[in-house]
Amino acid sequence: MLSEKVRGEIRGVLRNYKNLRSACMAALQIIQREAGHITEADMSDVASLLGVNPVQVEEVGAFYTMYNVRKPVGRHHIQVCTNLSCSLLGAGHIVNFIERLLKIKTGGTTQDKRFTLSTVECLGSCATAPMMQVDEDYYENLTEERINEILDGLK
Amino acid sequence: MEKILLKNLNNPGGHTLDNYIAGGGYRAVKEALKLGHDHIIQMVKDSGLRGRGGAGFPTGLKWSFIPKEVYPKYLCCNADEGEPGTFKDRGIIEYDPHLLLEGMIIASYAIGAISAYIYIRGEFAFGAKRLWEAIKEAYEKGLLGKNILGSDFSIDIYVHRGFGAYICGEETALLESIEGFRGQPRKKPPFPAVWGLYGKPTVINNVETLSCIPSIILNGPKWFSSMGSEKSPGPKLYCVSGHVNRPGLYELPMGTPLREIVYNHAGGIKGGRNLKAVIPGGVTAPMLIEKELDVPMDFDSLAKIGSMLGSGGVVVMDDTTCMVKAAYIINRFFSHESCGKCTPCREGTHWMTEVLKRIEYGEGKPGDVELLEGVCANIFGRTFCPLGDGAVMALRGALKNFRDEFAYHVENKRCAARGGFGAIGVWE
Amino acid sequence: MNGEKFVTLKVNGKEVTVKEGTLILDAAREAGYEIPTFCYQENLSGVGSCRICFVEIEGQKKLQPSCITPVMADMNVRTDSAQVIAARGAMLEFVLTNHALDCPVCDKGGECELQNMVWKFGPRKGRFTEKKIRFHEKDYILSPVIVKNSNRCVHCMRCVRVCSEVVGKAVLGVIGREAHQEMTSFVRSYLDCDHDGMCIEVCPVGCFMRLPYRYKARHWDLKSAKTVCPYCATGCRMTIQERDGVVVRSIARLGSGFNGRMMCARGRFGYDFLNSKERLKTPLLKVGGVFKEVSWDKALGVIREKFTRADPKKVFGVASARLTNEELYLFQKLVRSVFNSPNLDSTSRWNENASAAFISAAGIPGRGTGIYGAMEADCVFIAGAQISDENPVTDYIVRYTTAAKRNSVIIASSRAMKLDSSSRMSIRHLPGRLGSLLNATALSLYMDYPERLEGTPGIDGIKGKTVEGLGQVSGVEVSDIKSLAGVLRGSASVSILAGVDFLRFREGILGLRLLGAILKTLGKQLEILPLLDRSNQRGAWDMGVHPLFGPGYGEVKEKGLGVDGMLERANEGASDAFYIIGEDILSMYPDRAFAARALSRAGFLVYQDMFMTETAQISDLVLPGASFAEKAGTFTNQEGRVQAAEPLLSPKGEAKTDLEIISAIGSSIAPGFTGADPQRVFEEIRGGLKTYEGIFPGLNDSNGVMVKGSGNTLKEFEEVKEAVSDLGKNTSYPYYLITGNHLFHSGRLSRRSEILRGLLMEPVIEISSILADELGVEDGSRVMVNGRESGAVFSVRVKKGTPKEVVFIPENFEKAPANRFFKRGETVARVNITVHSSF
Ligand SMILES: Cc1cc2nc3c(=O)[nH]c(=O)nc-3n(C[C@H](O)[C@H](O)[C@H](O)COP(=O)(O)O)c2cc1C
Ligand code: SF4
Ligand code: FES
Repeated sequence: MLSEKVRGEIRGVLRNYKNLRSACMAALQIIQREAGHITEADMSDVASLLGVNPVQVEEVGAFYTMYNVRKPVGRHHIQVCTNLSCSLLGAGHIVNFIERLLKIKTGGTTQDKRFTLSTVECLGSCATAPMMQVDEDYYENLTEERINEILDGLK
Repeated sequence: MEKILLKNLNNPGGHTLDNYIAGGGYRAVKEALKLGHDHIIQMVKDSGLRGRGGAGFPTGLKWSFIPKEVYPKYLCCNADEGEPGTFKDRGIIEYDPHLLLEGMIIASYAIGAISAYIYIRGEFAFGAKRLWEAIKEAYEKGLLGKNILGSDFSIDIYVHRGFGAYICGEETALLESIEGFRGQPRKKPPFPAVWGLYGKPTVINNVETLSCIPSIILNGPKWFSSMGSEKSPGPKLYCVSGHVNRPGLYELPMGTPLREIVYNHAGGIKGGRNLKAVIPGGVTAPMLIEKELDVPMDFDSLAKIGSMLGSGGVVVMDDTTCMVKAAYIINRFFSHESCGKCTPCREGTHWMTEVLKRIEYGEGKPGDVELLEGVCANIFGRTFCPLGDGAVMALRGALKNFRDEFAYHVENKRCAARGGFGAIGVWE
Repeated sequence: MNGEKFVTLKVNGKEVTVKEGTLILDAAREAGYEIPTFCYQENLSGVGSCRICFVEIEGQKKLQPSCITPVMADMNVRTDSAQVIAARGAMLEFVLTNHALDCPVCDKGGECELQNMVWKFGPRKGRFTEKKIRFHEKDYILSPVIVKNSNRCVHCMRCVRVCSEVVGKAVLGVIGREAHQEMTSFVRSYLDCDHDGMCIEVCPVGCFMRLPYRYKARHWDLKSAKTVCPYCATGCRMTIQERDGVVVRSIARLGSGFNGRMMCARGRFGYDFLNSKERLKTPLLKVGGVFKEVSWDKALGVIREKFTRADPKKVFGVASARLTNEELYLFQKLVRSVFNSPNLDSTSRWNENASAAFISAAGIPGRGTGIYGAMEADCVFIAGAQISDENPVTDYIVRYTTAAKRNSVIIASSRAMKLDSSSRMSIRHLPGRLGSLLNATALSLYMDYPERLEGTPGIDGIKGKTVEGLGQVSGVEVSDIKSLAGVLRGSASVSILAGVDFLRFREGILGLRLLGAILKTLGKQLEILPLLDRSNQRGAWDMGVHPLFGPGYGEVKEKGLGVDGMLERANEGASDAFYIIGEDILSMYPDRAFAARALSRAGFLVYQDMFMTETAQISDLVLPGASFAEKAGTFTNQEGRVQAAEPLLSPKGEAKTDLEIISAIGSSIAPGFTGADPQRVFEEIRGGLKTYEGIFPGLNDSNGVMVKGSGNTLKEFEEVKEAVSDLGKNTSYPYYLITGNHLFHSGRLSRRSEILRGLLMEPVIEISSILADELGVEDGSRVMVNGRESGAVFSVRVKKGTPKEVVFIPENFEKAPANRFFKRGETVARVNITVHSSF
């Protein structure tokens, strides 16, 4: 069940649009922000809140890659850009380094559920490559030392 | 040149309403409200402003397609900025959000919209926050909402966050996305000017395009068209990344030669190496080589030499770069971002990526290069929207200039550029 | 239509003239050129995504998808240029890259659009050598009738579109994107839907498949026959197919019926009762309380003896509205001219005066009303119809045609229904009070145009009443009535779809007649389309199987009794002989206790059917009849569309077609009675009935043939009345019970289909979401339903939008017959509902 807080927030975005369905993306974003990922039950709840079928919510959840649909992630989600500009400046290195550091493979989550590591397409921060996004924040001009520092700061 | 779009780039706090107003902000709105719709559209037409989202369509002309008698109408600002190598819209949004809002208010007034959406890609969480704050400030000052500045014009602006889909930068996919659907392009015609958001007339403009509007209103179309190239006037943001000494965002007149951008502004190639290739306008734009560097960076000049200005994302590659790997990374991006709607793009980009990956990993087979060319030919010109064509253009650009390198990979199962082929899809 | 423009263009050099706005695809097909398509599907929104249908247009650099590109004057289109041929091959090569290519084990093999297309257009050789994307290892089951293999998907999206645009369920979606996108249900879970298999029918490959047909046959092993669906009166054209005497499939084919690919769950999956082991195979005579097999000679002998000895006034005949026109015609002839009795009817559920009045109000004797024509109206008003359950394909047609036209549908009903979501306005009135709503609407129009409408027949009946007062009786807000009247006033053309709730409640018919008359006087173009629930109900009326009129709605010498009256007489002991074909009175008559009592007192009871029904069990002689699949003949659907059917099989065992039996009974009593040749009988019909004059429906008439006007108008017989008071409160039995057909069932016949029983086994009650919340129950909970006389346990189905006081029990469940809750003469039954907590 969605919490009252989440419900309230979702209701809040409804008035931005001409119909309920348009709020689907925002609703899933709100849920993911609170819980890190989106469950089957969440999608059903959003569906009944917006008066659509659950599959139409799943369509949205599964199309946009930032939604973690039925895929729990760690407390912090590390997403390293591996598109061209970042790769030219060593994104591959960065990925390998983090994999070794956290002892996980790309796509995996550490045993203590602290970190999940993913690679992503261009995040629009090419001039400060290589870069990564952890949760909602950008970390740029990465080096091994920087990464150590950043990850240490995230509990 | 005086900065128009990046005035506040290095001005901490420049994003606030107070600072913006102190710098003369929102004067253009007041001015515009006096001018009347048709007059504004004419001014934008006269300025010669062409869309900065990639296609370079004349902005004033686009606005003039909006039918007068149909209500409501919408304005959508395209801040999806997904083209790899591009970060210009993000710059405006983070450093000068009110510039965009002012442009949007004027555009809405000109076309008669009463609601406007900013479609910002989900990854730009900070940008979205900036916009929310700016919008809140603007409402408080009566610059948004009912009867702005005491006029009879009312306008609401909403932020809609994407959540990871490059295709939503395509204008009709963007509309689908706002309406709560998967972001797949719609068939055209009908064009959004007639049947757009919620089936109503809609203008979709890029962030940079809209941010040019206030200065046109204040300084007049002549002033604007005196800058840059004749057929593509005005200032332009260039995003430079890759193997250069000073990567970054540069505001220069439209038509600045590529060589000047790479060597003067961005400080030349890192480590004094040689340039191997440069992508002039986001990864979709076919890459250029050293001898083409003198091309003026505007729509028509780049088109003439078989590339395109696109988003203005300049990616520089030095002579250590493996072109097969570059092509593979670019193609992987396109197949990952193909929306899945049409057959050639969905299956074709997937196929190309698989073949490129194989070649890159030293498992290429004789005939693979010809196969790639064949698949390209089968995709090109046959996709539903330009994304599939983009994938082909990018690969063809690489094959045109570096076919030998691909052949070398296939034959020798290793890289000519660096003597080896790398690990899982990324550079080591 | 006038005002339409035509344009001329060239296709491969050949000139064609087509309507403006026609797609290039259609124009090219009209010119006789073949263009392959995947994503294109008639009646669905065009997406133009598969890119197979490319054509070259002179002057345009890029090839254009012909399925979404409209023609323009003087276009020069090529469907056969080298560029087009190359592109087609290329697209097919792309489609094949990730297609499973497991044709040898695919059910679709041999009738797969992809297979056929590749065979025709290439490529002859594939260049894709990578690993294919696999969505899953094993096929997975989505419903008792749907099995899915996503590895074969060609991403045409037809399934998803048909589910939302035609069926109106939207339970299928596209999950994921790029080449990894899969069309499936929410988290691939079991579907809660109409199970009509539209997704299967439109799927060009073996991605959506029929579970009951799985690994049963290759299509070339099948023998087929064209027929008409035996369930509701939408009258879908279908083809049934058998292998080794077992019917394995029924399909709807594009181009071979007005219904295109559309059928509902009943039509598509309800065929297997034909194979039932319980089919009757020999005549059975009750001797000493037990049935004994007897020969036909013996059976006919007994009938001759009983029926010739009977007092003709005490002879009764009922024939089901599922028989063919020929059988029904011959039946009425038998009863009227051989038994010399005026007492015959085609249904036990409705009063004959009500049906006569309805037939007249709906203008049925006047002429046929085509559904597609009716959909063109500015306003489509649906009243007294549980259309989404009773006439599913009619519901589909309304949905996809108005979806294109937008917002012309208004619904008045007591229950919420699926079609509500496609309507501009849905009005909820109290059960049995539709008349007050219609009269209130009529009154509102009258108040707008008092002069013009003065003298309209029936207008005096509403003078002196108020819209408010009538609104209150019907339980409808005045504002809703006013907006309904407003829409009608503003529409130049109106179609009224009038369903059988008019007959169930014997109410609203006068209102319908009055409203019709008013609309006509106001100069509106008016069409009334009856929505009926038995496949040949209209045919039965056309053939004169009715106590108050003869064939072609002609006058009869002597008016007879309907089932109501027959049972009353039987109950009094005044029946000598009773001949019933296919109408299970005991389970259908709206007062079960009374029907049981009356029938047990009836004189000699002959019952003819395919199965040992409840009525059969209390009969004296049971005759084994045949199914629709074993008959040649014609059926007339609700529109008045006459369609021919051919037999696929011969009757089981010693069973005979109903035509043969009727004819044999006739000849045994009156030698020289018409023989059992359907064609000869149809000729007799054609000769005798003006409406059928000159009609020759052939098997290949894909759209059937419409009946003509008879010129007859029915006189009113006994006045039907309209309810005038509100329903009043009853605290012990607070809920109004509505009955009707369930989406998966039609009468009791469908309960003999194992497949349909698999879709819904136990008796259900539909209640509003408000009541569900109040009782604390949800879908699948059990509740006890009590009427004054009886009670039963039901499984709950929750419906949003139904008023709290209204509950619905389908009439189809033998375990909990709905007619138990009804009492003769009372059309609105009341019940009480409590949570059932026995376990
Ligand atoms: C695949 C694809 C991706 C696109 N992405 C973007 C984008 O990220 N931002 C953008 O402004 N325009 C993008 N466009 C261009 C838009 O469709 C559209 O032309 C533009 O927003 C119009 O604005 P303008 O006239 O101001 O340039 C994209 C187009 C395609 C085909
Ligand atoms: S080219 Fe086709 S599949 Fe690719 S993004 Fe456009 S519509 Fe989608
Ligand atoms: S049939 Fe025309 S694009 Fe699919």
